[in-house]
Amino acid sequence: MIDLVQNTLDGVMIGSSYGLLALGFTLIFGVMRRLDLAYGPSIMIGGYFGTVLYLYYGAGPLAVASAVVLGAVIAGIYVERLCFAPMKAGAAIASMVSSFAIWMQLEQAAILVLPRHTYPFPPLATVAPLEFGPFLVRVDHLIMLVCALALAAAVHLALYHTRFGLALRAIIGSPVAAHLVGINVRTAVLLTFAGASAVGGAAGFLVLAVDQQVTPMFGMWATLKGLIAMMIGGLGSVPGAVVGGLLLGIVEVNSQWYFGPQIRDLVAYVVLFAFLVVRPRGLLGRAPEPAMPPKA
Amino acid sequence: MLDISDLVTAYGKIDALKGVSLQVETGKITCLLGPNGAGKTTLMMTIAGLLHPRRGSIRLAGTELVGLSPARIVAHGIALVPENRLVFPQMSVRENLLAGAYQRNDKVSIDADLKRMYALFPRLNERTEQLAGTLSGGEQQMLAVARALMSRPRVLLMDEPSLGLAPLVVTEIFNIVRDLNRDGTTIFLVEQNAHMALQVAHRFLLMEQGRITFRGMPGQLAEDEVVQRAYLGTRRAAG
Amino acid sequence: MDDYLIGVLSNIGVISFVALSAYLLLLTGEISFGQQAFFAIGAYAAGIATALWGWSLAAALVWGAAVSGAAALLVGVPTLRLHGLYFAIATLAFAEMVRILFELFRYQISIDGELIGPNGTDGFRNIRYIFDHNIDAFQFLLLIYSLLAAAMLGLLLLERSRLGVIFRMIGQDETLAELQGIPVARRKVLAAGIAGTLAGIGGGLYAHLTTYVEPRIFDIMLGVHSLAYGLIGGLGTAFGPLLGVLIDIGLLESIRALAGYRMIIFGGLVALLLIVRPRGLLDEMVVHKIGRGWRRVSLWARRSSLKPRGNSA
Repeated sequence: MIDLVQNTLDGVMIGSSYGLLALGFTLIFGVMRRLDLAYGPSIMIGGYFGTVLYLYYGAGPLAVASAVVLGAVIAGIYVERLCFAPMKAGAAIASMVSSFAIWMQLEQAAILVLPRHTYPFPPLATVAPLEFGPFLVRVDHLIMLVCALALAAAVHLALYHTRFGLALRAIIGSPVAAHLVGINVRTAVLLTFAGASAVGGAAGFLVLAVDQQVTPMFGMWATLKGLIAMMIGGLGSVPGAVVGGLLLGIVEVNSQWYFGPQIRDLVAYVVLFAFLVVRPRGLLGRAPEPAMPPKA
Repeated sequence: MLDISDLVTAYGKIDALKGVSLQVETGKITCLLGPNGAGKTTLMMTIAGLLHPRRGSIRLAGTELVGLSPARIVAHGIALVPENRLVFPQMSVRENLLAGAYQRNDKVSIDADLKRMYALFPRLNERTEQLAGTLSGGEQQMLAVARALMSRPRVLLMDEPSLGLAPLVVTEIFNIVRDLNRDGTTIFLVEQNAHMALQVAHRFLLMEQGRITFRGMPGQLAEDEVVQRAYLGTRRAAG
Repeated sequence: MDDYLIGVLSNIGVISFVALSAYLLLLTGEISFGQQAFFAIGAYAAGIATALWGWSLAAALVWGAAVSGAAALLVGVPTLRLHGLYFAIATLAFAEMVRILFELFRYQISIDGELIGPNGTDGFRNIRYIFDHNIDAFQFLLLIYSLLAAAMLGLLLLERSRLGVIFRMIGQDETLAELQGIPVARRKVLAAGIAGTLAGIGGGLYAHLTTYVEPRIFDIMLGVHSLAYGLIGGLGTAFGPLLGVLIDIGLLESIRALAGYRMIIFGGLVALLLIVRPRGLLDEMVVHKIGRGWRRVSLWARRSSLKPRGNSA
């Protein structure tokens, strides 16, 4: 029982960063109706910016975090300009395959510049874990949770209490109608990409700092976690992204504890598959329309 | 006010609009009637900037609109109430209206306009915080009209406002159209419901297969002929 | 033909099967990131058949194809209701599940004192059939391409057949197809089954070509690549995916000098290509034009051969 609670606690904290990853993913999907397979790799590029700053300039966590966010945003804009902006309305698959091509490009670029398998990241905290009765809480996990929740709240605020957020929700609701009320959709989409990349970058920094390392495989890992959390929580749902992330975290940590790392990954995919077959809308998403997204 | 000349819009190799010319006069209600597939929605989308014509011109009080982005066209004073309403389903009635005023920053007059819309459309007033996706068809239509009005357009375009609505609601909508026009709004209306449209129109045009085949005033053509051509198109003579 | 070239061509041949597999599903309008799962199932099944059960290569390949085809049918049913992105992600999830299951799969038999068989993450070694039976690389290459040619022939015939038209109709507009009386669900499952079988044949060949498979090979990268080949080469014809494979693997080997930058260049080129040609090089328009040109040429040829040859009799 104690294990279950401890795992769930850990799961919630790790899940909070999954939630952030899913949040960025869902914002991009919401405005584009297309999947950006280069999302994780963009964050990985940010991670490499960060590690360079750390390794060669000895920068502290805050500076590194800024570098990660900056790198992710630059990469994100690059992806948007190349893979999404120039595509015509019906070319959804072309966009996804294009983003996949850029995923490979970014991964190889990272390996070329920094060829080692792993690079260090500054830790979030170096103090001993806190004790709450029989439960242990790592301080860096706690920081991750607090930061993730704060960021999610900030995104929520931006979405529901700013003019730009209104534009974003309009585009998500009906891209055609958004044009008709005078929203500059192309610019809004670009800015959303930048914002989503920034959120992803922040999530990436938190995960990398807890892990204290970055590898070129981080890109695929981040994309997968964000994707699974997003689908479980509900495609296109902002609160769903957070909830999905938390749930994924809890399921993963418990699975790993009781069954080991392979089963952990297996369970994540089984849960995803089960959701898709039984309840594709996820926990909080809207019911999928029959013809969504548009076919190539 | 709106001067369209020789407009040609294509879908791939097929010309949906084959050289359309018409004028929408300031302060009047102009109705475009025609069967499905005639090109009415294509015309509306082209004016709104969602489709780019292959050639031709669209002038609003002298300013050329062809080639401008939809957002700039809204800035010039065109607002389209689209076919199928296209409200923002996950946003409340109030937020939908605020979205309509997206390009405006004058908060005080936006609030005043909001109140004006609630007065004009009492059914919306009862549901200001309700999600637009849960409204009835008629209420969504009113919301779409109100949303378009929030940008204080010089020309209001309406694409088949009666589509899928019960007759009583259709009458309500057309009463609103008449009231808006009385307050000075120029309206360009596309409809299949010829009967209702002719009741409010000052001028009307018939479009068949991408071309304007008649322009004039209600009464110049017998209503049944209009209705027939609006639903079925003219039977082509041999050749 | 030197060994290196044989190796590259064999690789191209085998991967073409997975590319065709993804392409077939794309015709019915569904994106699949998971055909590598059937590639894997075919590989393991055929490998087990020859290495552990002593079957002939032919029987093993048929077995591999059958198992993967059956798996495809099985997974095609619960995912029927899914469309577009939801379906795509379901295929991804499924494929990863299969990959992880192979990481856990152990089935070893002692043969001549040696433990042979799939051993989880360590993979499945010693699929030595072609060496034990003195089939040289070139002969195996011929086998790969004969099977590929047969598959291509099947696909090209399919595209011209009623079923092929039905698949494309479903791909364009399912509701409309349904209204025409087409049993859309059954046809989609059929397409899934055929696609799975194709990938399975490729997998069986792959296992014997490389004599060693491990779960790591059958990852998402392979899956998205398979899809990408069709997008690059063109979705207008079954030759499209082949062209895509040729460009990727051919390019891969030919630009040895730029080995470290291959993905950077190739990735950029693909992205640029897709901007101007979102349905690939041999897209429906190009194929249509080629078809028209061909018809004109053959008409001209027929006309000239029918011209009276001066004064004969």
